[in-house]
Amino acid sequence: MTEETAAQPSLQTVLNELEVQRKELSNLKTKAYLFLAAGIILIAIGMLLGSLVIAGAIIGGGLIIASIVFFSKAGQKFTDYRDQFKQRVVSAALKSIDQSLKIEYKYGLPENDFINSQLFTQRPDRYTSEDQIYGNAGKTQFSFSEVHAEYKTETQTKNGRQEHWHTILKGIVFWADFNKHFNGITVVKPKDIGSSLSAWISDKMPIFSPSGKELVKLESPEFSKAFVTYSTDQVEARYILTPAMMERLCELNDKSKWTISVSFIGSYVYIAFPLDKDYFEPPVFKSLLTTKSLDEDLSIIRFMYAIIAELDLNTRIWGKQ
Amino acid sequence: MIIVFIILSVILIFGVSIYNSLIGKKNQVTNAFAAIDVMLKKRFDLLPNLIETVKQYMQYEGDLLTKVVELRAKAGTPNLSNEERLDLDKQLGSSVKGLMVSVENYPDLKANQNFLNLQSTWTESEEQIAAARRTYNASVTDYNNAIMMFPGSIFAGMMNYQPIAVLANTEEERKNISAKDLFNN
Repeated sequence: MTEETAAQPSLQTVLNELEVQRKELSNLKTKAYLFLAAGIILIAIGMLLGSLVIAGAIIGGGLIIASIVFFSKAGQKFTDYRDQFKQRVVSAALKSIDQSLKIEYKYGLPENDFINSQLFTQRPDRYTSEDQIYGNAGKTQFSFSEVHAEYKTETQTKNGRQEHWHTILKGIVFWADFNKHFNGITVVKPKDIGSSLSAWISDKMPIFSPSGKELVKLESPEFSKAFVTYSTDQVEARYILTPAMMERLCELNDKSKWTISVSFIGSYVYIAFPLDKDYFEPPVFKSLLTTKSLDEDLSIIRFMYAIIAELDLNTRIWGKQ
Repeated sequence: MIIVFIILSVILIFGVSIYNSLIGKKNQVTNAFAAIDVMLKKRFDLLPNLIETVKQYMQYEGDLLTKVVELRAKAGTPNLSNEERLDLDKQLGSSVKGLMVSVENYPDLKANQNFLNLQSTWTESEEQIAAARRTYNASVTDYNNAIMMFPGSIFAGMMNYQPIAVLANTEEERKNISAKDLFNN
């Protein structure tokens, strides 16, 4: 609590400074929109009245060009404003939760790490990731980043090939150092029609199991209702997914709007949270000074930070320090 | 003629696949028990080291130590049946638990790095054995379901496959552990 109160004034000062920038930006953008609208209206009026076509086109065109200049200026200003917001406001907000937390807003989870996490079987064709936040919660090192991964399908139509993009994940991928040693790979996937069917197939015909992993039948009915589990090692999967851990994962899943995916690889736990919102983006037309602007960002950071406690990852009685 | 042939081959393939899956499930049970056995061996191997470390500090817990040493010696004898091994492990588990509790009386031992390592390895072995037991129970359930449900039950009858009991905790283990009882042992 003392840390939080100590961090508050500096956050407030930063917010005050940035609010000035935000107002300038918002004015510039409003001006740009007004000029654009006025330009279009003038050209339209000129064309309607016939005789004023040329005058309308010249003045309207001028206004439109001016609006384009304003828009590009606003674009530059926005990049600067957004960078400042992430560097200073989000950083300060992070420090208010834990001093060790940092943000690298230009970096995210590398595509290779995303693929290697085996959270999703589909390989992405288009991948972006940013806003990497990392630090420690107690003994446990963790990190999370915004990720947008998509894959492409093509269909042949009369007008040639048409591309369709499908989302694999839009949301946050979280990883943390797990509190136990393990060598194999265990993946916990949301249970839907597709995954239930492939689980049934790999149970009846293990040859068709995904990449050498076996279906793991766990005892918890609540857990099995929400997830399907695959692992390279049946015993190890249960060493990781103890009854307590299953219960904790169910609780974590209940707090998320969409079912989470979890994987345990190379002594790390990865969790994918599908989300419908971009986090850590500053408002342009709404004031920074209202308390609500940062609330959602703060609550998602607190949520991620609390996972360590929720999964009890700081308890290290298993020889891994 | 062709239709009869197709029907016969479908029945044959179906039969062979059920037969094979029953055998696979039975082997899975054996395999799962072997996994418990590996973990048990790992745990038994921890004991000499644990006993040596504890012996230097604990002067007043002679009985507990002797019991652990005895159990360790028993675990080393060959030709133990599965039940005997599991039973030994159960007794060993509760004796070592008693030992760990009485460590509270020996601050020097509590601070000993070697002992701390052994303690965490022991806890880990408990977790691993629990996982192996759960794997065994899952395989047994899978096998029991297969031999008791139709059409597997017909084949199981012919192959003389009997249901196997899952590993459950004894009544004694279900009771809450009381530190007082452990001291009185």
